[in-house]
Amino acid sequence: MLKRLQIVGGHAAIPLFAVLLGLVVGSFFVFLAGANPIQVYDQLFCEGFGSRGCETFDDLLIVEAENDDGELETHFAPFYGERGHGMAIVLEKATPLILTALAATIAFKAGMFSIGMDGQLVLGALMAGFLGYWIPDQIYAATGVADFEAASSVMRTVMHIVVPTLAISAAMIVGAIYSWFAGFLKVKLNVNVLISTIILNAIAVQFVGYMINFPLRADFNNIARTRAIDDSAWLVPFTRGLFSEIEWFRGSRTGVGIIIALIAAFVIWFYLWRSTSGYEQRMTSGSSLFARFSGIATEKAALRAMLISGALSGLAGAIMILGVERRIVDGFASSGTGFDGVLVAILARESIAGIVLVAMFFAGLQQGAINLQFGDLPRQLGGIIIALIILFSAMENFFRETMSRIRHRIAPDAMTQTSDDAVPVESG
Amino acid sequence: MEETLAVEMRHVRKYFASSNVLAANDVDFEVRQGEVHALVGENGAGKTTLMNMLYGLVHPDHAEIYVYGEPVRISHPDHAIRLGIGMVHQHFKLVPSFTVAENIMLGIEPNQFGFINGKSEAEIVRELAQNFGLPVDPNARVSELSVGMQQRVEILKTLQRDARILILDEPTAVLTPQEVHELYNVIRRLADDGRAVILITHKLLEVKEVADRVSVMRRGKMIGTHDVADVTIRDMANMMVGREVILQVEKQPATPGDVVLKVENLLVAGMGGVPAVFGVSFDVRAGEIFGIAGVSGNGQTELIEAIAGLRPVDGGRIMLLDHDITDVNVRTRRTEGMAHIPEDRMTMGLNLQTNLDENVIVTSYQKPPFSSYGILNFQPMRELAARLAKKYQIASARVGEEIKTLSGGNLQKVVLARELEGEPKFIIANQPTRGVDVGSIEFVHKTLVEERDGGAAILLVSVELEEIMSLSDRIAVIFEGRIMAVLDAADATEEDLGILMAGGTLDKKE
Ligand SMILES: Nc1ncnc2c1ncn2[C@@H]1O[C@H](COP(=O)(O)OP(=O)(O)O)[C@@H](O)[C@H]1O
Ligand SMILES: [Mg+2]
Repeated sequence: MLKRLQIVGGHAAIPLFAVLLGLVVGSFFVFLAGANPIQVYDQLFCEGFGSRGCETFDDLLIVEAENDDGELETHFAPFYGERGHGMAIVLEKATPLILTALAATIAFKAGMFSIGMDGQLVLGALMAGFLGYWIPDQIYAATGVADFEAASSVMRTVMHIVVPTLAISAAMIVGAIYSWFAGFLKVKLNVNVLISTIILNAIAVQFVGYMINFPLRADFNNIARTRAIDDSAWLVPFTRGLFSEIEWFRGSRTGVGIIIALIAAFVIWFYLWRSTSGYEQRMTSGSSLFARFSGIATEKAALRAMLISGALSGLAGAIMILGVERRIVDGFASSGTGFDGVLVAILARESIAGIVLVAMFFAGLQQGAINLQFGDLPRQLGGIIIALIILFSAMENFFRETMSRIRHRIAPDAMTQTSDDAVPVESG
Repeated sequence: MEETLAVEMRHVRKYFASSNVLAANDVDFEVRQGEVHALVGENGAGKTTLMNMLYGLVHPDHAEIYVYGEPVRISHPDHAIRLGIGMVHQHFKLVPSFTVAENIMLGIEPNQFGFINGKSEAEIVRELAQNFGLPVDPNARVSELSVGMQQRVEILKTLQRDARILILDEPTAVLTPQEVHELYNVIRRLADDGRAVILITHKLLEVKEVADRVSVMRRGKMIGTHDVADVTIRDMANMMVGREVILQVEKQPATPGDVVLKVENLLVAGMGGVPAVFGVSFDVRAGEIFGIAGVSGNGQTELIEAIAGLRPVDGGRIMLLDHDITDVNVRTRRTEGMAHIPEDRMTMGLNLQTNLDENVIVTSYQKPPFSSYGILNFQPMRELAARLAKKYQIASARVGEEIKTLSGGNLQKVVLARELEGEPKFIIANQPTRGVDVGSIEFVHKTLVEERDGGAAILLVSVELEEIMSLSDRIAVIFEGRIMAVLDAADATEEDLGILMAGGTLDKKE
C-alpha cells in the first residue's frame, strides 16, 4: 500500500516540480517587465482560484454579464457583491479545454498525432451557431408561433430539449467527419497526421471566418458576427437556471456544458480502459505492428479514434456557442482553444482525471493572465509562464533520471536489483 | 618471472540509472598477452558494457584499469586506440557508401603518409590485408560486401590502428559456418602474434574451439575465470545461468501426420517492392518441425510475414488445413489454428507499454470470458495471466505493471504462453530464442518439441544452425529468396547446410 502511494506520489511530483520551475524561471520575465514576481503570481492565481477574485483589484474588476436580451456587457465596476468564486469562471473556461484535451488524448492513444481540434471545433461551432437559430426559425414558421416567449410551456420544454440536441449532434458529426478525413489520409495514403491536421485547421479557420463575414453575417456591427441563437437553443447557465440563488456561480456563464464535459470524460475513460474497442486502439498505439500481428484491425481502430476525437472537438465548439458565446463573432475561429486542449492533453499524460485537473489549472492561469493587464502588466506574461510550465513538464525523463540518480546516491543498495530478481506473479 | 597483463580491470562498477541496472558490480577482469580470452554470459549480463568501459565508450562509476601495467583512465575511444585497444562492435560502424580502403583509413592523418588519395590508401590497405592474411578488395564499396567481409574490414581497421588488444563483440552472430571458421583462424593467428583477443560470445561451443581462457559474467558480476581446457561446456553453462541446464534437446523421432500448411510458388515483395521470395513451395505436416535455415536477410522475414498475414502476397498460394488463406486477414488465420512466435518480440510479439494481462489476451480479448458486449472483464484476464505466469514460470514484475522491465527470456515466455494457449494446429516460430538466456532457450526448445509431439505442425526459422539442427525434423535452406534444398534432419550435416546457405549446391557424391 505504502509502495502504491509512493508510486502515485512519484507521478504527481514531476508535474508539480515542473510548475514550480516554470514559476521560478518565469520570474525572470516578470523582472524584465519590471514587476515583482510575488505580486504577479499572487494576481495570477487569486483571480482563477481565489474565493472572491482578486481583492487587490476590487475597483478594477471586470465582469462580463448579460443584459435582459442575453447580450454580453462588460462592467468595470467594484460590484463585489455580484461576483461569485473565481473557480466558477474557471469551470466555464475549462469546459472546452477538457473536451479538446479528451479529443487529443483519444487520437494520441490510437497512435494518431492529430492536432486538428481547432478546425473541428470551429466547424462544430459554426454548425451549432447556425442551427441554433435556423432550426427554431423552421419550427416557428411551421407552427405559426412568433417566438420562444410566445410558445406554450410544453412547446418550450420540448424545444429546449430538441433544438440543442440537434445542434450539438450536428456539430459533433461535422467535427467527426473532418477529423476522419485526416485519419483516412493517414491510413490510405500514409499522409502524416500532424501535417494534414495543421492544414485542415487552417482551411477550417479561413472557411469559418468567411462564413461569419459574408453568408452568415447578421448585421453591420463593427466586428462581423452571426445572428444570436434562439433562446430555445441556449444551454442556460447555472446563474439563470437552477442555481440562480447560489452566489458562488455569479459572473460565470458555466452551465450544463461542464456537466457534459465531465460525463464525456467519464465515457472516454470507460471507452479507453474498459471496452474492447478502446483496448484495440490502445494496443494499436502501443505498437501498431503488435496489434496487426495479433489480428486487430488497426486501421479501423485508428479511424474510430479519429471519429470520436473529432466529435469531441465539435462538441466543444457547440458548447462554447450554445452555452457561452451565443453567436459567433469574427476572431472566434482563431482563438486556439483546440490547441490549448492539445497542450492540456500532453501535460496530463493519458490520464483522464489529469485532464480535468490540468484543464482547470490552465483555465485559471488564462483567467489570471487577463487579470494581469489591469495591474499594468502585459498579459503575455501569463502565456509565457504557461509555456514554461509545459516545457519543463516535457522534460519529464530528465527529471526522472536525475531523481533516481539522487536516490541512488542516498541508498545505493536499493537500486542493485535487476528485473530478474522481481517476484513472480502470485495466482489469485 | 611475472608476466605483464595486457589488460587488468579491478573493482569496476557501473550503474545505469535509466534502466535501473547495475551492469557491472565490482567486476575484476584480466587478459594476458597472446591469449584468446572469451567473455561469456547471458544477454544483459554486462559483457558489452564492461568492454565499452575499456574502450572509453562508457564511463564507469568506479574502476581501476591497467593497460600493460600502466594505470589509465580511458575517457574516449581515441584514447583507447592510442593505448592500442581496438573494438569491433556487435553492430558494425562502417560507412556503407565508402570503399573498404576509405573506411579503413578514415580518420587517419593524411600527412602521416605524405599524401592521401584512393590509390595510396588502397595500397596501404592491400599490404595490410596481405600481412594479416585477410584478403579484401580495397576498392570495393562496403555496402556491396557480405557481412563476413564487412567484419573483416572492421578487424583490419583496428589493426591498421595498431591494436594490440582486440575486442570482438559477438562476432559470429551474423556469419555462416564457413565464415565462422575463417574468423577462428584469424583470431588464432592474431593471438599467436602476441596480441590479446577478447571474444564476447554466448555460444559455448565457440569458446571451446578458439579460446584459451574464459571469464563468465552473470547479471553484472564476474563469476570466474578458467582455463578453457579445465572446464566443460556444461560447467560454463552452469556458471552462466547459476544452475544446471540441459543443452541437448531431448526428442523422439517425429511421427508426421497430414499436411497442415502448404505453400505453393509463393512470390512476396520486400522493402520497396523488390521481390524477396521467389516462388517458394513447401509443406509442413502435423507432428513435425520444419526448419528453415539461412543467413538472415535471405527472405525469411518476408516469407514468414506473408504466411502470417502481415504482408501481401504477389503470387502463389498458402493453404492452411485445406483452406486457402492467401488473402485472408490475420484474425481469421488465427481462428483457423495459426499461432505466431515472431522474430521481434519487442515491437511485434508484445506491447511493452502495458501489463501482462493485456498482453496475454490480445489474441482472445474479443471472445468470452475476456469480454462481453464489448466490455472487458478483468477477472478472467487476471486469472489467465496468473495461470500462464505459473505454468511458464514467468518471473513477472509486480502484477499490473508494464512488462517492459522483464528480461528477454521472460518476455519470450509471455509470447510463447499466449501463442500456445488454445492449442494451435500450426505454429510459426521465427527466431524463437534470439536474445534469450540459456535457461529460457532450453525451455523454449522443450516447449516446441512438446507441441510437436502434441500434433502441431511447426515452421521454425532460425539463423542459428545449431538450433535448426537440434530441433528440426526436416530442414529447408533459404538463400536469396529461394529454397535451395530440403534435407532430412538426420542426414543433414553442418557443412552441407553451410554450403547451401552460402548459395552453393551439394555435389551428389555416391
Ligand atoms: N546505455 C545504457 N543505458 C541503460 N542501460 C543499459 C545501457 N547499456 C546497457 N544497459 C543495460 O545493462 C545491462 C547489460 O547490458 P550489456 O552490457 O549490453 O549486456 P550483454 O552485452 O552482456 O548482453 C542490460 O540490462 C542493459 O539493459
Ligand atoms: Mg552485448
